[in-house]
Amino acid sequence: MLGAGGGGMTAVQADRRVRGLARLGGTTPGVLGGFALSLILVALLAGALTGLGVQNRAQAVDDLAARSGPLSVAAEQIYQSLSDADATATGAFLSGGLEPAATRQRYEADIAQASGTLAIAVAAREPADITASGSALATLSEQLPVYAGLVETARADNQQGLPLGAAYQREASTLMRTRLLPMAQDLYRSETAQVTADQDGAGAFPIVELLLGLIVLGLLVAAQVVLFRRTNRVFNVGLLGATAATLVSLLWVMVSGIAVMGDISASQRDGSTQVDVLAAARIATLAARADETLTLVARGAGQAYQADFVQVDKQLGGLLTTAGNQATDSGVRAKIDAAKADHAAWTTAHGTLRKADDSGDYGGAVTVAIGTAPDSAATAFDKLDSDLREAIDQTRSAFTSKVTGAGNALNGVVAVVAVLAVLTAAGAGAGIWRRLRDYR
Amino acid sequence: MSKRALAVLATVFVLSGCTSVATTVIPNVTAQVPVPGNASVAAVPTAAAGDQCANPLASLRPPNPLPAPGQMPAGSTMAKIVQRGKLIVGVDQNTFHMGFRDPSTGQIQGFDIDMARAVAQALFGDPNAVQLKVLTSDQRIPALQNGDVDIVVRTMTITCDRLKQVAFSAVYYDAKQRILVKQNSPIDGPDALAGKRVCATKGSTSLAAVAALPVKPVPVSVSDWTDCLVMLQQGQVDAVSTDDVILAGMTAQDQYTKIVGAPLADEPYGMAMPLQNQDFVRFVNGVLANIEAGGSWTASYQRWLGGLLPGAAPAPPTPQYRD
Repeated sequence: MLGAGGGGMTAVQADRRVRGLARLGGTTPGVLGGFALSLILVALLAGALTGLGVQNRAQAVDDLAARSGPLSVAAEQIYQSLSDADATATGAFLSGGLEPAATRQRYEADIAQASGTLAIAVAAREPADITASGSALATLSEQLPVYAGLVETARADNQQGLPLGAAYQREASTLMRTRLLPMAQDLYRSETAQVTADQDGAGAFPIVELLLGLIVLGLLVAAQVVLFRRTNRVFNVGLLGATAATLVSLLWVMVSGIAVMGDISASQRDGSTQVDVLAAARIATLAARADETLTLVARGAGQAYQADFVQVDKQLGGLLTTAGNQATDSGVRAKIDAAKADHAAWTTAHGTLRKADDSGDYGGAVTVAIGTAPDSAATAFDKLDSDLREAIDQTRSAFTSKVTGAGNALNGVVAVVAVLAVLTAAGAGAGIWRRLRDYR
Repeated sequence: MSKRALAVLATVFVLSGCTSVATTVIPNVTAQVPVPGNASVAAVPTAAAGDQCANPLASLRPPNPLPAPGQMPAGSTMAKIVQRGKLIVGVDQNTFHMGFRDPSTGQIQGFDIDMARAVAQALFGDPNAVQLKVLTSDQRIPALQNGDVDIVVRTMTITCDRLKQVAFSAVYYDAKQRILVKQNSPIDGPDALAGKRVCATKGSTSLAAVAALPVKPVPVSVSDWTDCLVMLQQGQVDAVSTDDVILAGMTAQDQYTKIVGAPLADEPYGMAMPLQNQDFVRFVNGVLANIEAGGSWTASYQRWLGGLLPGAAPAPPTPQYRD
């Protein structure tokens, strides 16, 4: 029943109290009592706010390690699996006749990986994110079974020797390229944006914590100056202890905060920034492979695919150069160098393939495209893809280890801040209480 | 006093546990059906029907005698092709038994391909000296005009309109435009198509003929003929209308379809060549006359179309020439 006491107090009583307080405020015990009270309050409040700030930072680091980091991996995985599934299903048409078992297994693995990862990505979101109009996850969940159905219809027709199968495969591929892959790309973009946001949250300079610590310190110094002037005693053990506790707390928070800043910035430099470029390179690789295959499937009517290949391939070259320049780890750099060499080998194989196709040697072109010879386009593509995958895995583990380091730097900081805040409050209270007792 | 009232109110709220609960509404998700790439409800220019010319089916008279394989007159179009080593032919890979890709072998084959190989045989003495380039219906004329292909043998109807852009051989196959529907469809002819969605390929005469029907069907255009069958199977169109021989290829792939109604139009097929290559047109007409007289036309018909179309093999079309 808040305010009931105030309402019951008469005006005269209230006036007397106020005047009493004002008179008390002017006396030394009054000033000291005021200081003691505000020091205890401010120390506890500052401790709570600092602890909250550290907690938020720890939460952001935790999100990076357990949520946004893995989800960006999931989004990339979804894109990659879908794209590979389409390239594989389309490529199966080129081999003609009985579908090779390895091709079928690769397609099935891609679909399983895409659906499983999609379920994880969906589970990590709130229902409202999924029901929102234009949600990438909703579209992916709705259209992936449709895609798989079309591919199976195409296979069934193919197994009966009907050209109709190719039409179903084209429809499936159109669905993949116009609806599923753009949505997967949207998803990847939003997940990587979340990683950046979490990195910004975790790696910000601890300015609030610094100001709070300085305020408490300032109050403690002021209290000691006042105490010295009013009582002429230089040292007060309680206040000195409180000052020391505040200093330790401030230093602890600053050191851990700056350590986290360093780790997060390293997680960007050695991890996520490189992963972004490498993932884009891998996506471009898959897109170029799909273009290469579709050009042959379309058989003369595929100029649009070839034009797209040229564009994507150029982009891929640029991405590999950027990735090479950004690499901070010798192992990753070696992988990127291998990727560049494999890209060059692929470009050569693609040239041979196009030349064969354009001069009417369709069978020769198909052999270069899907054959297992060391200089075939398929071999170069597989090597390039695995180089990029390994480089991505290595940079991702660099990201994870830096984020883990950031998490370790914050271990126990909240508890320390809480204990030291209580010590500060207790020290300040006890120190001033001793002097107040002198006035009894 | 208002302070006390507020306090009482606050207490009541806290005690009654009055919190707002956000509920998740599960939306009704509507199916988004997949469509073949490039499929669209077509706004077709119907002007094509208005074009008239003398006798579109009369092609250039063949030389007598026909040059022997590998011995083409110097400077002729044929000599250039022979020098290159391959005849580049624009074909289809989606039309069952006319030009289609056998999924088991990956080879393109069919009646049209046999005709193209006969031309290669006459040029090189080798029916395999062909490079097959797959074209969609609407790519045929541009491919010829750009010189990407020497000849198009792809279920191409001779029309006055097209004669302004390309040259045609004599008729090598007489097709009729008809209608394909599902077995249980009530549609029994062109008159029943009012307001129905009817599929045909972009740039085909069939699409223009559908659009020109007085009952006003909704023409839907796609890239390849098999895309029409996909849309029919998926219930996205009510009928497919094109040449009987193409439709017969569809019924062979889906036994739950049937060809109905009277023919909408005659579709005489010719091989198309660039307008300026008149010597090549004459040469091809000579080849056609030979294979029609020599029985290989009938053999090809029986191999590819005999099982698809009812009745015995018809006589090859009688060529009409002008000088």
